[in-house]
Amino acid sequence: MSRLDTAMSDPGEGFDDDFELVLDPKVQESIGRSLKAHYDDIVNAPVPDKFLVLLAQLEATEQRAAGASTDECK
Amino acid sequence: MSASDSSPKSEPRAKSEPRTEAQARDFKEGLIREIPNLRAFAASLSGSMQLADDLVQDTLLKAWGNSDKFEPGTSLRAWLFTILRNTYYSLYRKRGREVQDSEGTYAERMATHGNQESHLDLADFRKALAKLPEEQREVLIMVGATGLSYEEAADICGVAIGTIKSRVNRARTKLAELLSIGSVDDLGPDRTSAAAMQRVGSESVGS
Repeated sequence: MSRLDTAMSDPGEGFDDDFELVLDPKVQESIGRSLKAHYDDIVNAPVPDKFLVLLAQLEATEQRAAGASTDECK
Repeated sequence: MSASDSSPKSEPRAKSEPRTEAQARDFKEGLIREIPNLRAFAASLSGSMQLADDLVQDTLLKAWGNSDKFEPGTSLRAWLFTILRNTYYSLYRKRGREVQDSEGTYAERMATHGNQESHLDLADFRKALAKLPEEQREVLIMVGATGLSYEEAADICGVAIGTIKSRVNRARTKLAELLSIGSVDDLGPDRTSAAAMQRVGSESVGS
C-alpha cells in the first residue's frame, strides 16, 4: 500500500507515478517477456489456409459485382 | 452474415464509390498481414484456438463488408481489433466459457515451444493469464504484446487512457500474484513476486 520510494529508483520508465503499487522491475520484465512469448508463439504459428481462401472468395465476388469495367478474370 | 449489427443505423450507401481494384487489393493484403495478430489476440480473449479462428473469420467478413469505413492512413490493426473485440463480447464470450469448461483452455492443450528467452514457463503463464479478468487481460495483451499504444487501446475499449494504464497495472500485479502461487523460482530464491511488490528497490540481493 505504501507509496513505494520513487526516490530510490528513478521512475524513468515512463510509468505514471499515480500507480498505487509498483512491481519489482524484474518481475515486470519477466511478465513482459512471457506476454510476448505467449503472443508471438501464436503469431508465428502457420495461418490456416481457410482465411486466405475466404479472402480470395470475397475478392472474386467483389470483382464480379463491380464487374462492368473489368473482364471476368476466371 | 449481416454486418449491420455493428452499425445499427442503415445508412444509404451515400458514397457508393466502388473501390478500385488496387485499393481492394491493398486492403486485402492488409487483412492478410494482420491475420496472425488477430489470431493471437482472439486466442488471448477467448482462451481457445478454435474459437479464435471462428472469431477471426467473422472479423474478416465484417471488415470486408465495412471496408469503406476504414480510413486509410489510420491503424488497420486497431480498426480490426475493435471489430474483433466487439464481435467477441457480443457473440463469443459465453461460448468461450463453455468451451473452456468442457475442453480446458488452450493453455493446457497447446504445445509450448521456443520460449527459451522466457523465465516463466509458457504453459503456466497462459493459465495465469486466463485467470485475469477480461478487461485486464485484453488491455495487457494490447499494450504488452501487440504493439498498440495506450491511446489506441483506449480507443478500442472506449475508455480513458488512465483507465487503460490502471488496468494494465492491476493486470501485472495480479499476474505476479497468480504466478507466485506456482513456481517462479527463476526469479530468484527469495524474490517471489509477492515479496517483490513490497520491496521495490531493495537492491540488496544480499550475497
